[in-house]
Amino acid sequence: MSDAPLQIRNFSIIAHIDHGKSTLADRLLQLTKAVSEREAKEQLLDSMDLERERGITIKASAVTVMHEHKGQPFMLNFIDTPGHVDFGYEVSRALKACEGALLVVDAAQGVEAQTVVNAYLAVDQDLEIIPVLNKIDLPAARPDEIAEEVEQVLGLPAEDCIKCSAKTGEGIQELLDAVCEKFPPPREPVMKQTRALIFDAIYDDYRGVVLYCRVFDGRLKVGDKIRMMQMERTFQLTELGKYTPKPTKVKEVGAGEACYVIASIKNLGEVRVGDTITIDHDPAAEPLEGYEPPRQMVFCDFYPATTTEKKGGDFEDMREAVEKLALNDSSFTYQAVHSEALGFGFRCGFLGLLHMDIIQERLEREFDLEIVQTAPTVSYRAIIRGKGGEHVEVEVNNPADLPDMGSVEQIMEPICKLEIMLPKDRIGDVMKLCMDRRGIFKQQHFVSEAREMITFEMPLAELIYDFYDKLKGITSGYGTMDYEIMEFRPDTLVKVDVLINGEPVEALSLITHKLKAEQRGRALLTKLKKQIDRHQFEIPLQAAIGGKIIARETIKAFRKDVTAKCYGGDVSRKRKLLEKQKKGKERMKNVGSVNIPQEAFMAVLDTGE
Amino acid sequence: MHVIKPSVRGQSLDPQGVETVSPLRHVQSAAHGDAEGPVRSLYVHIPFCSHKCHYCDFYSIVDTQDRQEAFVTRLMAELSALAPLAKGSPLRTIFVGGGTPSLLRVDLWTRLLTSLSEQFDLSEIQLQAPETEFTVECNPESVTPELFDRLVAGGVTRVSMGAQSFHEDTLKRLERLHTPGAVSEAIEAARAAGIGHRSVDLIYAVPGQTTPMWRNDLETALSLPIDHVSAYNLTYEPNTAMTARLARAEFTPTAEEIEIEMFELARDLTTAAGFERYEVSNYARVGAASRHNLAYWRQDQWLAAGPSASGHAAGYRWKNTPRLDSYLGFSDEGLSMVHDVETPDARRALAERLMTGMRLAEGVEADRARADADAICPGLSDELDRVAAEHAASGRLTERRDGTASRWVLTDSGVLFADGVASDFIAAVL
Repeated sequence: MSDAPLQIRNFSIIAHIDHGKSTLADRLLQLTKAVSEREAKEQLLDSMDLERERGITIKASAVTVMHEHKGQPFMLNFIDTPGHVDFGYEVSRALKACEGALLVVDAAQGVEAQTVVNAYLAVDQDLEIIPVLNKIDLPAARPDEIAEEVEQVLGLPAEDCIKCSAKTGEGIQELLDAVCEKFPPPREPVMKQTRALIFDAIYDDYRGVVLYCRVFDGRLKVGDKIRMMQMERTFQLTELGKYTPKPTKVKEVGAGEACYVIASIKNLGEVRVGDTITIDHDPAAEPLEGYEPPRQMVFCDFYPATTTEKKGGDFEDMREAVEKLALNDSSFTYQAVHSEALGFGFRCGFLGLLHMDIIQERLEREFDLEIVQTAPTVSYRAIIRGKGGEHVEVEVNNPADLPDMGSVEQIMEPICKLEIMLPKDRIGDVMKLCMDRRGIFKQQHFVSEAREMITFEMPLAELIYDFYDKLKGITSGYGTMDYEIMEFRPDTLVKVDVLINGEPVEALSLITHKLKAEQRGRALLTKLKKQIDRHQFEIPLQAAIGGKIIARETIKAFRKDVTAKCYGGDVSRKRKLLEKQKKGKERMKNVGSVNIPQEAFMAVLDTGE
Repeated sequence: MHVIKPSVRGQSLDPQGVETVSPLRHVQSAAHGDAEGPVRSLYVHIPFCSHKCHYCDFYSIVDTQDRQEAFVTRLMAELSALAPLAKGSPLRTIFVGGGTPSLLRVDLWTRLLTSLSEQFDLSEIQLQAPETEFTVECNPESVTPELFDRLVAGGVTRVSMGAQSFHEDTLKRLERLHTPGAVSEAIEAARAAGIGHRSVDLIYAVPGQTTPMWRNDLETALSLPIDHVSAYNLTYEPNTAMTARLARAEFTPTAEEIEIEMFELARDLTTAAGFERYEVSNYARVGAASRHNLAYWRQDQWLAAGPSASGHAAGYRWKNTPRLDSYLGFSDEGLSMVHDVETPDARRALAERLMTGMRLAEGVEADRARADADAICPGLSDELDRVAAEHAASGRLTERRDGTASRWVLTDSGVLFADGVASDFIAAVL
């Protein structure tokens, strides 16, 4: 390396799933000689099996590599971001640690809804954006057309697009040059006191909490007594280091750099991502601008699929697993709940539906738990009239928590801004789908000869059912979508109660728009009717709003339950069958002397269209 | 396939060439103990059929290779291996079922019957002493006077005729080959040959069968010289061709209301004709209940010979290999290869007694069940009483005083819920 002063570049790669972000990252690392050929075969930045299987990156990590460009030494801090809609929050906090972003677009598939949403996030952070057209080696690649799309949709000049193939390595050198030349250096420190932004934190079984930080002012040194400015807690800094991409310890880190910090922090509850680290004996007066804590938008309950023999034990196993998961995912929240029907479990909050799926899968796979998951709901806000006539706003993460509709003044629901990228010829059907889901049309945008982008405002509650599947169906898989939560808005929302044999079953209640209540209620009862076996008595199923029945079904009584033939050879088989039936019944929940299988509680999951 | 590795004595080879002994050796040694009484019943399975009916889940094959002779030879070896379990006591009941036992060649019947009388003490059966029975299942199309004569000479006292229906449409639906008239001819021939007890099997709730058709079937059957009727609600057994057709919606199954109507009609017409219901699907004139089947339902011991035959002795339940090939190809000094075996277990035995007992008009001896329950676990009888009280409250069960003893008996309406009641008792016991 020459004697020229070290240049620092902090940047992220943002992309739609499968547009080749991880491969591109590895190829960049390889070119800087940070990674061998062999290592480059694996996607280094994704560490969990589940992520690799799903082709998505869940946890951000930061990698530092040294690089020489035109005789000048460069330290490139590459800050990885998750790639899915649910993790928009994490994307934005990773971006806060950067000055630049590579916006990767698949040269065959073009700009996707997610690309747009992520690009907005980068623009919001005033980042320099370099559009990258990846996969130009594909026969179907249309780099010139896609460059036009980038200009049309994102307003980034088509000629600024760097065309490359992470697979073959073509254009990667040019990309690396652009990183060094186009991305600005970190801003100059504004004070001598230390201020470092925590942009991520993970829990490691061996090392405890590992923080990812970007130092903006001053320095961090091993042995410093550091203070978290918002949490007002102090810790002893025991280890500093960088991933190169292997963890490499360093003694100190200066302004403009990214690093990891270990400071004997036992659990993630002791730190807050977005907090500012300063030095205890010489603290900064003001913290850096941080982030809002992550907002859980989708909620559902997890219950152990309990068998009587293991009652209680299952719940304890689940508690342990949930606690462990929460240790390394601070955006996942949980709270112990008890349901009449399903026993003890946890009400969990997620950033979105994918996040929910991932947590559920990890609980089942990594902790070997059998889970009953209730239908997801969004977080509502309700204005309740108190006893003295005063109005109180409450957060409702579970329809069962909503008080009697009589005392509810207003219910507000989260509304998202939804971007959909779709083939032009399907626009009518997609519009209709959006309207049916109470969407408000906002914008239509020309993308290319074949594609359009439309923008809707839509209640999240309408989105979390099978909207994405429906969109994929209508567009033969070509439509993509992404959303951001905008605000809470009031609407004529009602709570629909479900009564089985006259008894309300809280776990089945749902909140829905008044105009859709009857349809939803009816669909739910039809589903329940299929799930619940006949009993020796007739079972009325009812859906009601505040005591008014809006739909009704009846499960007829069975009038016989007897095997015609039971001879010598049938005895064992018959006994086993009856035992099994009985075991099945034990796993069911008894409400008003009706046995309800656990699956029935999933019936609310479907819109029933 | 349940295989217990060599542990007792002699070895032989199963068709796969694995060294095995039959687990029946464990039964044998257990049954030899002084604690166990002699086994007094025997079931023999004849696996041949001229046609595999699509509703039937019994083991049978349409024999195209003429393996009847090999089968009887193998069966005789098995009978001789099982015989010591009778401990020299006279057998009380023998039931030869199938398959279609009447399809077995008469000369082979001769060998089989001779073998039975040589291996076992049939004196009580031959004297037609009380509580004895020697039943052979027959199909109307395959019986001959010659066969009946041969059976009578061998000590057979009872035939169970697979009539199923007297309506051509119903028979066709069931894939039965005989004509409606063949049944009365066959019953008449059995009577003429001197077979003292005659039963017919009927099936109801067959798709397309109406209640008047069923009434006609019952009336026709009851006009015959018989003392026993089995009337079975058609059951869609898993893994049968008919169940697959039902799943494909090739026909409409009979509605539950109609099934109940047909059940009640069977009960009423048989009662009017002087029969009594003594089990869920079985009706008999006084003294004509099947002793052999009662042995099953009262949890007595019985031996089993032939492929897929199930036995119960010394607390064991077992089932012979269901395949004719493996039955013919394996012999552990006469004992069969065993497909499934359950070792003695007091809870299981009690559960089964409650289950089968609930199906009987005589019910279950309550005090004995309580004592057995408390012997398993003190206080367990309270659980039984709880279940009994629950079902008594809903009118399905009564506790009938019978002198000093009392019995749990299902009521007339409770019979239709026998499985539900049994499953509650089983859950309480296990």
